[in-house]
Amino acid sequence: MRILPAAFIAALALTGAARQSAAQRVLLRSTTSLDTVRSSYGPNRAFFRHMYLSYLPIVGSAGGPGAEFRPFKSAEFSLGVRHKYRLSNTTALGFDLRYTRLNYSLAQTDDKVLPTPDKHHSEALVLHNLIAEPYVRLNFGRRGNVVGHYFDLLGWAGWVAGTVHTYEDRPGARGASRTVVHERGLTYVRRWSAGVGARIGSNRYAAVVRYRLTDTFTKAASATYPDLPRWSAGLELGLF
Amino acid sequence: MLTFTVLRAISRTLWGFYLVYTLLFSIRLYQSALSILVRQGLLVGILLIVGHTGVAQPAPCAGSGRFWVVFTDKKGQQFSPTHYFAPQALARRQRQHLPIADSTDFPVRPAYVASVQQQVSSVLLVSRWFNAVACQATPAQAASVRLLPGVRSVEALPEAALLPAERLVEDQGASMTLSATDRQLARRQTLSLGGREFQVARLTGQGVRIAIFDVGFNGADQHVAFAHLRQRKAIVGTYDFLKHSPNVYQGGTHGTEVLSCIAGRLPDSTYLGLAPQAEFLLARTEQMYRERYAEELAWLAAAEWADRNGADIINSSLGYTTRRYFPEQMNGRTSLVARAAELAVRKGILVVNAAGNDGDDRQWRTVGTPADGDSVLAVGGIDPDTYLHIDFSSYGPTADKRLKPNVAAFGTVMAAAPGGYVRTQGTSFSSPLMAGFAACVLQQQRNLPVMTLFRQLQEAGSLYPYFDYAHGYGMPRAAFFTRGANVKAPVKPSFDFVRQDSAVAVIIRPEAAFIPARTLPLYADSVRAVTPDQAAAPVAKLGQEEPHPETPDAPDPDPVLGPVPPDYLYWQILDAAGVVRRYQVLEVTQRAVLRVPLRRLRSGDVLRVHYRGFTHVYSAS
Repeated sequence: MRILPAAFIAALALTGAARQSAAQRVLLRSTTSLDTVRSSYGPNRAFFRHMYLSYLPIVGSAGGPGAEFRPFKSAEFSLGVRHKYRLSNTTALGFDLRYTRLNYSLAQTDDKVLPTPDKHHSEALVLHNLIAEPYVRLNFGRRGNVVGHYFDLLGWAGWVAGTVHTYEDRPGARGASRTVVHERGLTYVRRWSAGVGARIGSNRYAAVVRYRLTDTFTKAASATYPDLPRWSAGLELGLF
Repeated sequence: MLTFTVLRAISRTLWGFYLVYTLLFSIRLYQSALSILVRQGLLVGILLIVGHTGVAQPAPCAGSGRFWVVFTDKKGQQFSPTHYFAPQALARRQRQHLPIADSTDFPVRPAYVASVQQQVSSVLLVSRWFNAVACQATPAQAASVRLLPGVRSVEALPEAALLPAERLVEDQGASMTLSATDRQLARRQTLSLGGREFQVARLTGQGVRIAIFDVGFNGADQHVAFAHLRQRKAIVGTYDFLKHSPNVYQGGTHGTEVLSCIAGRLPDSTYLGLAPQAEFLLARTEQMYRERYAEELAWLAAAEWADRNGADIINSSLGYTTRRYFPEQMNGRTSLVARAAELAVRKGILVVNAAGNDGDDRQWRTVGTPADGDSVLAVGGIDPDTYLHIDFSSYGPTADKRLKPNVAAFGTVMAAAPGGYVRTQGTSFSSPLMAGFAACVLQQQRNLPVMTLFRQLQEAGSLYPYFDYAHGYGMPRAAFFTRGANVKAPVKPSFDFVRQDSAVAVIIRPEAAFIPARTLPLYADSVRAVTPDQAAAPVAKLGQEEPHPETPDAPDPDPVLGPVPPDYLYWQILDAAGVVRRYQVLEVTQRAVLRVPLRRLRSGDVLRVHYRGFTHVYSAS
């Protein structure tokens, strides 16, 4: 008996609620404080994050004879994520995390020594790097919520996650038209690398220059192999 | 293996980079010269040249920027208003009870301009209104300008943004063949504002001079929709402030579409706007698909030109947003163009500006500038299918919590474009509809001071005195001006507030609960939805809107209403400062239409409700 009135009241309440909701078909709804809240995320807000691609051909020549390169094919291609923390309208700090495929396409010259004197149709040393790169940014000019024009000073350090010596012979072995060989886990390549760089850009486009401070080859191998070019320079495209 | 395949595919997409390099350098040259290039910053130059391709502007020196130099005085300057101003400009000043000229009309002292000219790379603009010049200079040159006699201040102007503006949809060709829906929309875009009332009262904007600032007026000199304007030589002045030539019939079709929403005509003589008898000054101040700060200088130069040539109204379907500013800067005082618009109003010119197309942009959402100006009539967009705020129309308030948009008009319209007519969307077209409306009011009351006109346009709004940040005061009604006392008479109450235990209910009175039967249209296809699905076809930024074609087989995205606006219930909670905290629009299906818990009302808050022209306030305290 006690339950019946309670159930009746609950049923009434539910009916009332249903009637009320039927009356209030909202066609437009807005809360000013939510509409006008300042965002902390954006190209020129407190924090911004975006992906990017870059292509930086290797520049210069090796530290000695026996390691000549094919230009433009010898390049680093990167895919990364950039984090930017705004300090003021003209300054920002940030860091990149990226994967870089560093490809040294070896020219097949008579005095070639890297990694062997053997000549092939094509040959390359490929390093797969995982890199962290902090930077300091200086922006130029007044702007709204856009990246704008900027100059970055970079420092980077990375781990060489994989190494491959790959070459192709034409004609190939045993009557085949071609043979492709991949040698992985090269013991003569250093596992850690680091360097500095600079970047100048405008919104999603940037020109980048990097310089490697560490040697490519281990101490033991350095006696045999000339060190590879330390400069790379190219373009970067922000994906945002 | 998959990673390598993906990387290889991406590498191919970067082939363009490779080509640029190949063109610029031979392999050997590249290897030997790169270190020099880096040292001398030439890469920067190359990058900037690539970014600036196609922009006609004086070549700046390395490291130079734009500066705004304000002078202290105009001492010794002679000025003859009768020679400088067109007769129409003098007449406007007289009507507006303004002095024939003031200090802002006097020319800048040539000696000051010459001394700046000697120090900087180039002078871009000389502004009488601001007693200032804009110039291109290096920081060192700017520092030397600061020391010149007569210089009050030197400020850096925002730099040009290199981003190409978005281009969201492909261009759709205009057509001379119109469907019943198109014709219906063309009529409704003026009828919704009371075009018929103006027509009966013979108010067509006659004798009123309207300046239109836009990206270009392609085809407006040949289009059949403007034959009546050409016949009576109603386009009295044109100037391209970007290329410094009188030819404005290039650069884009947006201005043509905007002009048609004031004075265009369909082949069956239906007018697309309300002021076909007005006179026009056409100014090109903006580039299509790019945003440059130079355009703000062009806007200021065009405003001074419009003032000199006797414009009564400036229609600017342009707005500057995220690339230059932050939403919190939309206070009417930050941007040069907003200050210029305010000054134009002080000269007696009504400035009508589109609110913006960023309502569905979560990063911006609010009005752009110069729509943020206090005295600028910002016009929002209305969905012709529902008579409610159209999704893309920017919301208010301004950063300092002032009401914007002020009024609203259709955001989907029929417009003239080269080759025929198009259906298009954007608050760019709401603005000229309102400019035409204002021209009719000015024709009726030629001596109306500009801010009185501004206030009356708001008071004519369908929601007045209610307002919200989506509709402003609603769509102005011509009857407010043509019928006067009948419309302005107090409206009969249509609802009551009923205090309950913990809530306040809004109950519609029985006499206001009668919903008239809907009249059938002559043809069913004449009431098809005209507003496309926003998710499928987002609207571009102001000045870049594109036509959208009719999709015969697409389902209607919204319920379609007839030519008469439905009676919605609007309600809001205002705080003690009069700022709307929240607002809603409800569909009315029963008399007990709203119940607001009292806990939602803070101390000083009021609940304000509008229904069928009646606005009433319930105070919590």
